[in-house]
Amino acid sequence: MKNISKILTLSAMALALGACSNIEQSRNLDNEKVTGNTLAQQVCSTCHGLNGQSINPTFPNLAAQSKDYLSAEMTEFKEHSRRDPAAQAFMWGIARNFTDKQIAELSEYFSKQASPVNKTYSDPALLPVGKKIFEEGALENGVPGCNGCHGVNAEGLGPIPRLAGQHADYLYKQLMIFGSDYDEVETKHEDNLERGHGAVMEIMAHGLTSQQKLAVATYLQSLK
Amino acid sequence: MKLSSLFSKVKGSILLLLGVASLAVSLDASAIPVFARQTGFKCVACHVGGEYPQLTSLGRYFKLTGYTQGDAKDFWNLTTNIDRPPVAIMLQSARQYYANNKAQQNGTNPTSAYDMQVVSIFAGGHITDNIGAFAQWTGNKYDGNTTAGNQYGGGASGSDNTEFRYANHVVTKDADWIFGSYLNNRITMSDVWNTTENWNSQWIGYFNGGSAQAPTAFINGGASQHSVIGLGAYVFKDKTWYAEVAAYKSQTHGLFSIMTQNSSAGPTLLDTSPYFKLAYNKEWGPHNLELGVHGMVGYAHNTGVGLAYSDWTGSVSTYRDVAFEAQYQYILDPHYFSAHFRYTHENASNNADQIGASAANPTNILNETWADITYIYKAQYGAMLFYNGARGTNDAVLNPLSATGSPDWDSWNPSIFWAPYQNIRIGYTYTFYTKMAGSSSASVGGTSAFTGLSPHDFNTGMLYASLVY
Repeated sequence: MKNISKILTLSAMALALGACSNIEQSRNLDNEKVTGNTLAQQVCSTCHGLNGQSINPTFPNLAAQSKDYLSAEMTEFKEHSRRDPAAQAFMWGIARNFTDKQIAELSEYFSKQASPVNKTYSDPALLPVGKKIFEEGALENGVPGCNGCHGVNAEGLGPIPRLAGQHADYLYKQLMIFGSDYDEVETKHEDNLERGHGAVMEIMAHGLTSQQKLAVATYLQSLK
Repeated sequence: MKLSSLFSKVKGSILLLLGVASLAVSLDASAIPVFARQTGFKCVACHVGGEYPQLTSLGRYFKLTGYTQGDAKDFWNLTTNIDRPPVAIMLQSARQYYANNKAQQNGTNPTSAYDMQVVSIFAGGHITDNIGAFAQWTGNKYDGNTTAGNQYGGGASGSDNTEFRYANHVVTKDADWIFGSYLNNRITMSDVWNTTENWNSQWIGYFNGGSAQAPTAFINGGASQHSVIGLGAYVFKDKTWYAEVAAYKSQTHGLFSIMTQNSSAGPTLLDTSPYFKLAYNKEWGPHNLELGVHGMVGYAHNTGVGLAYSDWTGSVSTYRDVAFEAQYQYILDPHYFSAHFRYTHENASNNADQIGASAANPTNILNETWADITYIYKAQYGAMLFYNGARGTNDAVLNPLSATGSPDWDSWNPSIFWAPYQNIRIGYTYTFYTKMAGSSSASVGGTSAFTGLSPHDFNTGMLYASLVY
């Protein structure tokens, strides 16, 4: 009994003294000394994968994503100008104390990861429909091809995000958000937008039916 | 109870509960419990559909890495870290309905009643980059183990699930290792897959008894709760392979008394007893599967023979418990689904003091089964179904409820709830018994108090609202 108590006490003290600050393996999101690399490994990788390829489609792939886009989104999370439900549930907390340096380092880290290869099942029936929308748009509703801005292989450029290999579920949900933001502005004349910097995408999403959104999201997921 | 009668009683209670809910809805949106304040996450990030205690993959990681992720000033600059409340509180407001008002197992005659009480107070989180804590203090207005008139006796408050963890996460190009150790006060408190009795999905409790207790294996029962201190170590490799060992021992005095609570059920003292768990975890897309085995060898003094609290002189009973467990989850908004299964096999060797006092046989076998499924839509509307069953050796002293001493048991617990806001849950839960003490329909038998009662006479319902702040 006494021995057990001694062992427990000593163990507790050893634990307490073991490491008060462990900056290389810290998960502290309010310490500017923790580097982007450490945050990527200790925090981001839990959901987005160490290589920027996430498992659960709730979380977007970040691998090979445009550096400028990653920085812009992290800043929007921090400033709460991106306010879709998932952003609020997960990223507002993560990014609330990010420094500019940490955002730059994280953007660098994930942009340099190898392009994602998405193994999620893509309904073959949707692929040709999605391909046509991606390349030619839905001109009857005023939607031009996506490749004009996002690149011929949907690789993204600068502030325009990479879409190739992204989870269809994530892309579909974003298109639905842009669509509802369009309604918010045009129908309700409100400006309580979930993705306030998506004016161009609001018009695109408004011009696509739910089925067309799903088709183009599925096609983009299948791209390498 | 007739349905019409039930509905009229329910009506008044709903008004009460909604009053509580509307008061709470006006709270600040950021006013959420301790870990959420630290991480900045909403409940739904770490809990399936936002409903505690079921953990998502992210919630498991948070616990396995020692509750350390999130905003935290350095431990030594603690004074700068008081910009948010360091504790969280859980309130439960409930009205219970009993199918009969005859004596329950311990001789009380429950009456349907409304109560509101503080259930728990929580503290914890990051202490250093590698050390964190989870501390829970729970108050019970009633105590199911004592009686006062025709109600359960007055309860007490005490240390509930409490744990300190040291953890490290080492990432290399080829491997991902989480390893850590913990000091806690309940066997299976370390569980992150909600497959153990401590963290299974039946998170909301009846206040005033009425819910008859199934025979439980030692590892799942009250004997392991908060009267012990355990030191454990674990490793989790590539989010796939998990291994854990620990040793537990009762603490009757000394430094660690702060982490323990007595039980009015009588002292069961656990001598140094080993615990283990091995698990395989696989994630693909929105799916998660876990398969595992856990168990312990419990060496217990004074089991149910009423010796003094710190008396270690009694002879030792040995409980060899091993359990097979499984978890499946599908998490992709708006759908949140989870299912758990546990089958615990126990081989109990009762000590000489117990024979004739709390057990008739020198050895008993008990096989206990737990299963649950949960579905939550949009993290707001949910339904759960739990099943609890037991089969084992007949022992007329250990199981006096039955004429034959049978521990055989089947009970079901469906529930529905609505979470209008992430801090609040309003729901109805109902427990019904299809087999009790080996009997499915006729008299449960055994002691005279139960003569003429069948299992469904013990059925219990509860309308509740809970708030965590």
